[in-house]
Amino acid sequence: MASILVSEVMTGTYEFEDSGGDSVKNLSEAKVDVEYTIREIETNDNELKSFLFTLGCYEGETVTVISVLAENYVISVKDARYSIDWELAKAIIV
Amino acid sequence: MKIALTGNPNSGKTTMFNAITGKIEHVGNWAGVTIEKKEGDIKKNLNKTGIEITAVDLPGAYSMSPFTSEESITRDFVKNENPDVIINIVDATNLSRSLFFTTQLMELGIPVVVALNKSDLNEKKKTAINVKALSKALGCPVIKTISTKVSDNGLEALISKAVEVKGKSQTAPYDSKRIDFANAKAVEASDKKRYEFVNSIVSNVEDRKVSSNHQTKQDAADRILAHKWFGIPIFAAVMWAVFSISQTHLGPLLADTFAGWIDGLYAWTEGMLGEGVSPILSSLLLDGIIGGVGAVVGFLPLIMVLFFLLALLEDCGYMARVAVVMDRFFKRVGLSGKSIIPMVIGTGCAIPGIMATRTIKNERQRRTTAMLTPFMPCGAKLPVIALFAGTFFDDAAWVGTTMYFMGIAIIILGALIVVRITGEKNARSFFIMELPEYRFPSIKRATISMLSRGKAFIIKAGTIILLCNAAVQVMQTFNWQFQVVAEGAESTSILASIASPFAILLIPLGFGVWQLAAAAITGFIAKENVVGTLAVVYSITNFIDTEELALVSGGADVASVMGLTSVAALAYLMFNLFTPPCFAAIGAMNAEMEDRKWLWGGISFQFGMGYVVAFLTYQIGTLITTGSLGTGFITGFIAVAVMVGYVVHLVIKGNNKAQQKLKMSA
Amino acid sequence: MTNIIVGVVIVSIIGLSIAKVICEKQKGVKCIGCPHAGSNNKKSNCSCNTAKLDR
Repeated sequence: MASILVSEVMTGTYEFEDSGGDSVKNLSEAKVDVEYTIREIETNDNELKSFLFTLGCYEGETVTVISVLAENYVISVKDARYSIDWELAKAIIV
Repeated sequence: MKIALTGNPNSGKTTMFNAITGKIEHVGNWAGVTIEKKEGDIKKNLNKTGIEITAVDLPGAYSMSPFTSEESITRDFVKNENPDVIINIVDATNLSRSLFFTTQLMELGIPVVVALNKSDLNEKKKTAINVKALSKALGCPVIKTISTKVSDNGLEALISKAVEVKGKSQTAPYDSKRIDFANAKAVEASDKKRYEFVNSIVSNVEDRKVSSNHQTKQDAADRILAHKWFGIPIFAAVMWAVFSISQTHLGPLLADTFAGWIDGLYAWTEGMLGEGVSPILSSLLLDGIIGGVGAVVGFLPLIMVLFFLLALLEDCGYMARVAVVMDRFFKRVGLSGKSIIPMVIGTGCAIPGIMATRTIKNERQRRTTAMLTPFMPCGAKLPVIALFAGTFFDDAAWVGTTMYFMGIAIIILGALIVVRITGEKNARSFFIMELPEYRFPSIKRATISMLSRGKAFIIKAGTIILLCNAAVQVMQTFNWQFQVVAEGAESTSILASIASPFAILLIPLGFGVWQLAAAAITGFIAKENVVGTLAVVYSITNFIDTEELALVSGGADVASVMGLTSVAALAYLMFNLFTPPCFAAIGAMNAEMEDRKWLWGGISFQFGMGYVVAFLTYQIGTLITTGSLGTGFITGFIAVAVMVGYVVHLVIKGNNKAQQKLKMSA
Repeated sequence: MTNIIVGVVIVSIIGLSIAKVICEKQKGVKCIGCPHAGSNNKKSNCSCNTAKLDR
């Protein structure tokens, strides 16, 4: 119990450092040009999850939103740019 | 000896394959161009050993675990066919992702040579990679390559290295052999460790001056080109420019010269034949073969200019942005963002486009995409567009541009209808697409692509088109008693009697004459046949006037021969573009859909769509231009109403199905 | 006489193009003269039997 609390506090402070106090939960709410650390990929779709993994998009890795175009987000993962849609951005918990 | 080319999507495998084998396979600056493996022998000047080496180009993969079927092609090939050496093409600008796959490849026990491709891009970004250290860390040779360059590209070194390592053993730097693959958790944990290992290598060998997650000029360009509101107008402007250059300006200029040669050939043959030759034979040779094929080939310069421009677009990386722009609309109608790739490929030829639907996992989306891809105007439809734009609309670039956007609009409408009929509108899909870096398009690559397509066009004209034209000529010369049709009694010919029943159906569309019906029918064999058949049945030798240095400046003549109003001509053009594609494309649809019901549903849908679009264009256009409705309005209206009614019925049925599904799950 | 020559010319043109069609078909080209219409050159077991992944 105590350990869960600690970890929550820790991630809380981590977010604080990253996003400047915003309570950003997933990538769809993320600010442009701020580096976030992925906490979880929230989806029932295991295939999608493992696909994202092979791109280097998984827990612990960093991701940056480069721009928001209409309903798509341009993100930078590892050294590549990807365009993802809003649903997918929502599934990436940071 | 067999070498497999593997690597991440868009790392340049096919470009390298073309460079080392001298083949001309389709390349584009976006992920997922290659969908099937391709084989070729390595060029002699790169291969000094004298042993025959076969290179196999495989579709891109991010890892050994298959997510899409083209990724599993790669995995199956590497695992089952035991290539002697694997060349792993690594995108030097994205080491940390690419090496994940490299470490997996190295576990297979087949010698691996890493080709550090796109190293020129790294120099521009001031990123340095220590090749020696990388080679040591991986335990396999690493060669810097720039496969887009002609010389000094590292390819010779790469091939000789590949020959050298054949049969030698390498130790995988990261080994996961002891892991139980049935246990998903363990695999995940192992893969995470693999990534950690890769990251540690990268941090050691890569010296990156500019971090990749900072805004660049490219990102600024993305924000404009893929903008919410500007994206589509920019795409429209780009397409308009492409058509304007190919169809209104540069194309006709070249076409005139070219048509002059064809005319010369015609006149020369006519002179050679002289007077004594039987009119049947001379008209078969002159009007059927030379005239018909010449009419199609006359458009070759226009098409080559167009292909050249499209190749430039594909090469610079813009197409991936178009996919992003379109995703928004496609998602609304239940297609995935991936559906765009087949459609972009479909602008060249519908068949590879339909085959590219394989990358779509969702069965309904895959079948819907396969059914709708042929609505994109393919290369074979361009002569038809060019003919009508030239004859009736004074070479206007808007005709071609409109046809492209009509195609897109029909695809969106079609997808909307299909998703309602299947009752799966609640299905969700995710869209993720790699955005390749923009680059200055290569004139050389575009030229090669243009020449290879031009060659294919000529081959087609010399085979299928030629045979069809000869057949059409024979069929219109004779009647069913095999007697020569008398002048003035053309409607008794075999061709006329076959085509006439169809022509009746086309009266409400404004072009109910047997000649046009016959051309539309031969169009199902190959769309260029529409042009060829029209030339044969109206004995027009040339649609391009050489005298006045303008494409079809005698357009008024051609138009009067055909007896069509501009509106009816536009309706006829649309009918030909938006009915089912050629038989070869239908065969491809059959292969990818794997379902009779879907195939026949798709074909009927395409027929219905062509009919309705042509009907509306003709009737509304006639109403606007003349103030009264066109001929056969009532009958046509009933036919269209029945078709629309049936679709509505199916949609309602589909809705009920969807509601039942909801109830079931609730 | 000229008729025979012209006839032979026509037959040989048509014969050539039929021969070309047959030759391409035997190579397994799906659409002759279509750009990149995908011919699996050399023997290959195609990719038709790859497992379908349906979600």
